[in-house]
Amino acid sequence: MIEVIWLIIALPLLGAVFLHFFGRYIKEPWSGWLASGAIASSFVVALVAAIPFFQGGEHGSTVLLWEWMPAIGANLEMLWDPLAAFMAMVVTGVGALIHVFAIGYMRGDERFSRFFTYLNLFAASMLTLVLAGNYAMLFLGWELVGLCSYLLIGFWFVRPSAASAAKKAFIVNRIGDFGFLIALMLIFAAFGTLSYAGVFERAGAELTTGMATAIALLLFAGAVGKSAQIPLYVWLPDAMEGPAPVSALIHAATMVTAGIYLIARSAAIFELSPAAQTIVATVGALTALWAATIAISQRDIKKVLAYSTISQLGYMVLAVGTTAYFAGLFHLMTHAFFKALLFLGAGSVIHAMNGEQDMAKMGGLFKKMRVTGITMGIATLAIAGIPPLGGFWSKDEILASVFERGGWFSVLWVIGLVTALITGFYMTRLFMLIFLGKPRWDGGVDPHESPRVMTVPLIVLAVLSTIGGLTNTPIRLTLESFLEPSFELISVGQPPENVLILVVVSLLSVLAGAAGILAAWLTYRRPPQDWQRLEEGLQPIWGIWEDAYGVDDIYGRVLVAPGKRAADATAFGFDVPIIDGAVNGVARLVRDFGAWVRPLQTGYVRNYGALFLGGAVVVVIWLVVAGV
Amino acid sequence: MIEITTPEVSWIAILPELVLALGAVGVLLVEVQWKPATRVLGAISAITLVIAIFFTFLQWAQAGDALEVGGLDELVAFSGMIVMDGFAVFGRFVLLVMAGLGLLAGWRLVERLNRRGAEAIALVLLATTGFSIMVASNNLVMMFLGLEIGSISLYILAGLTEEKTKADEAAMKYFLLGSFASAIFIYGVALLYAGTGQLEILAIRQFFTEFIVTRPAVILIGLALIIVGLGFKVSAAPFHSWAPDVYQGAPSGVVGYMAAMAKIAGFLAMARILLTAVPQLDDSWLPVIAGISALSMLVGSTIALVQSDVRRLLAYSGVAHAGFILTGIVGGATTGMLFYVTVYAIQLIGAFAVVAVVSGPSSSGSSIDEYRGLARRSPALGAAFAVLLLGMAGLPLTSGFVAKFGVFSEAWANGYGWLVIVALLASVISFAFYLRVIVAMYMDETEEEGIVVSLAARWVLTIAVAGTVLAGILPAPLIDLAADAFSL
Repeated sequence: MIEVIWLIIALPLLGAVFLHFFGRYIKEPWSGWLASGAIASSFVVALVAAIPFFQGGEHGSTVLLWEWMPAIGANLEMLWDPLAAFMAMVVTGVGALIHVFAIGYMRGDERFSRFFTYLNLFAASMLTLVLAGNYAMLFLGWELVGLCSYLLIGFWFVRPSAASAAKKAFIVNRIGDFGFLIALMLIFAAFGTLSYAGVFERAGAELTTGMATAIALLLFAGAVGKSAQIPLYVWLPDAMEGPAPVSALIHAATMVTAGIYLIARSAAIFELSPAAQTIVATVGALTALWAATIAISQRDIKKVLAYSTISQLGYMVLAVGTTAYFAGLFHLMTHAFFKALLFLGAGSVIHAMNGEQDMAKMGGLFKKMRVTGITMGIATLAIAGIPPLGGFWSKDEILASVFERGGWFSVLWVIGLVTALITGFYMTRLFMLIFLGKPRWDGGVDPHESPRVMTVPLIVLAVLSTIGGLTNTPIRLTLESFLEPSFELISVGQPPENVLILVVVSLLSVLAGAAGILAAWLTYRRPPQDWQRLEEGLQPIWGIWEDAYGVDDIYGRVLVAPGKRAADATAFGFDVPIIDGAVNGVARLVRDFGAWVRPLQTGYVRNYGALFLGGAVVVVIWLVVAGV
Repeated sequence: MIEITTPEVSWIAILPELVLALGAVGVLLVEVQWKPATRVLGAISAITLVIAIFFTFLQWAQAGDALEVGGLDELVAFSGMIVMDGFAVFGRFVLLVMAGLGLLAGWRLVERLNRRGAEAIALVLLATTGFSIMVASNNLVMMFLGLEIGSISLYILAGLTEEKTKADEAAMKYFLLGSFASAIFIYGVALLYAGTGQLEILAIRQFFTEFIVTRPAVILIGLALIIVGLGFKVSAAPFHSWAPDVYQGAPSGVVGYMAAMAKIAGFLAMARILLTAVPQLDDSWLPVIAGISALSMLVGSTIALVQSDVRRLLAYSGVAHAGFILTGIVGGATTGMLFYVTVYAIQLIGAFAVVAVVSGPSSSGSSIDEYRGLARRSPALGAAFAVLLLGMAGLPLTSGFVAKFGVFSEAWANGYGWLVIVALLASVISFAFYLRVIVAMYMDETEEEGIVVSLAARWVLTIAVAGTVLAGILPAPLIDLAADAFSL
């Protein structure tokens, strides 16, 4: 089966190519079904190819499709190991459900086929990223998902906000990618190859701590951009301009987790640098808290979910920084389920409300949309960490592992605990504002449950959110034994062995989540005037949160404006006179040179003969002088 | 009674050339006797080429066997005149494939020439014969004979049009200057013989391993003249001045073929002489070849910048490419050079096939204005030309990138870092003029109508584009083949 794993990438790629050329000839729902079929088949291939890993102990292997530049280890090769299989299954599985949902969500859009072309292209790129067997190919996938993200955020590009959000996402990611690129150069300088096999085997013996720290932190810079951590998270909230399925697929379940995957994949390098690990974990914890507080006061349903995603990604980064790779990847999976569900549910709600995204104008939707309501309710409890739902097990494992590490990490554990409380609060607020209470709709809106094609993916994701956590409970560590071979040589952070400590720590995080839920429940079950007064009573902090700490403003003033001024200055103060001057100068030089040699190019044979002879004389003299 | 023993003749060593010569004569005879449709002559030449290519496969297998079980001496045939090593067989194979592509690309010209079309076909086959002998010869005089058979055929081809045009001037110039270069080459051979007493390449190498020459001046002058002569054939600076005029004046149907053949044979012969015969003298010739290489790259790419005629642009780009390929010889290895020559020859024939389509197969000159808006007029043609030009420029994922990477890394490994830096600079400059053509094709508007592309030209372009992309994405098989094709 391993020989055909290239199909996992090829199927969605073929779908994208086919739809690009023939999409316009295919009637509306069918291009969506075709794209969904492509990625679903790719899921089946991944599942079948992963069978050896389910039995445990299998290490996987590298499949060389063809050599491109063997000299620098940049070949088209795929590493099919448990980690790659795990990522591939999450991407294709959740991806397929979101594809199906989008068939209903995008109904009637003029560029229906084009949307699925991009979705399939994204899937192929993301799979290239996770299945790559070397850093060069990973970088290729990394950049391609960035491109697809750009295309899909700006899918409704006639809206200026969508177009500028797409640009913002692309440019902010460029900052992180710059670090990533330098990391690749350092890796090549240190090992002479970019191939995983070459790098990881020799990392322990050949990397100095300083070099390992440099590479690790530069790789992390890439992860910070892609996985929306402080300080580069600002693109993700804006990216919500894209259609809801895009937010679910790219900005919740898959692409944004690429940074976590990158760190997990490079565990052999991070292991050599405790300093880098501490920095990674700290950034993750701070991001988790920072974004959670912003999520409290947002009124736009997708903005809440965006900040919530940043916060949850913070948890995952905290986990991989603590070397709790299994916990981090576990949370990556459960988060993919419940956050995709939340985004799709939000899409269903927005769909029903004719595009309204302001939660203040919702309320009482539960009666109108039972399926959406129930499934989103499950997701809310899951993300808040209520047992036995998915989020409980994975978040708990992260916090327990962080606690076990001790020292500075104890502080991070407290931050994580506080974040869990806030998470319970803002998610319950979201659920209650949308579904409970009295309707606060604008006139003319008639909410209705979404069609089957949208609700079925919701139900499937709700089931996955419910039972997904059972794949890795302290009683039965299925996922861990699945992933184990990929991290055999790495010391992985684990939850406390002592059962009593484990139970206490778990209880604390459940209590935190429950306290958040209870607080929100007590606040938002009252009439709107009451909680609105409360929110206003919390000024100015509420306003600061609502304004996302004004970071966009600060960046605008501190970075963008001076950047523009600097660009102006370089453009007109340096580029025009110096660079253009040099270019024009060179051009003039070349022209003069051309004019100078033109007399030689007379067209007369005698002149050519003379030139030829002159050259011959020079060569003869040179060779003889050099040789004798 | 005197017993005369006829020497054992290893016919297989020259079978491809024999087939080619027979094919050429056959085409002429059939033409005289039956005056058939050109299609029939095309079929004869195609069969000839296919049989010749088949024999190169046999030779390749035999060379491989000899390598494994020993008996490398058996690969030297005809009393040391011809070698059948992998290097020769690889060169032959590439020449034969290019001959096929060249005929396809020039097919419209052959048709237009009517009854003289047979001459064109025969000349293409004869030129291939000559250059094929040249790459397979172990004897410098033999090499000269091959060079002349090939070159004289090309001189005639350069003037072969149905009307009196600038082609006559181009042919005459090419002939006069080419003869000059040939004379210099053979003079160099004579001096080398004077210094070493040997004409056979393997014997010359033997000579230098056995003797230390205290006063090598005669030998070095001879070597210099050989370099000059071959430098002319591959249009390296400063021996390139004929190339722009000839490329511009000769009928566009044959220019790609002419340029490709002369380059392949010239570089292979140069590599064989420098790397097989006189590797001991590399202290002397390496700096000179590096100098010629650097000069070619700089002169070619800077003058190409200011050309307004696409053919002159391609001619100067050819000068730059000669410099790039020479970096491979400076690297002291043939793998990169063989790869580069092969992929560049395909690009060259493809590019001139486009020129022949755009300006007509017997035209002289091809102003860049004719290409404005080409991508709108004929999207496929424009895209094909763009791919070929990007391939020449060396964009990653095209064959040109892999080729450049190969020769540059060889030169770098051999301690010629400065040359690699010059080469990178020249590569950057060269992007500018290739992109100028692409910009003209894609950005400019045009009122002209679409161009009808003949079936033959479509085939050539499909093969050239596919080869350029494929060898860029999947270069390993061709690189392995080139690595196996080393000289005895």
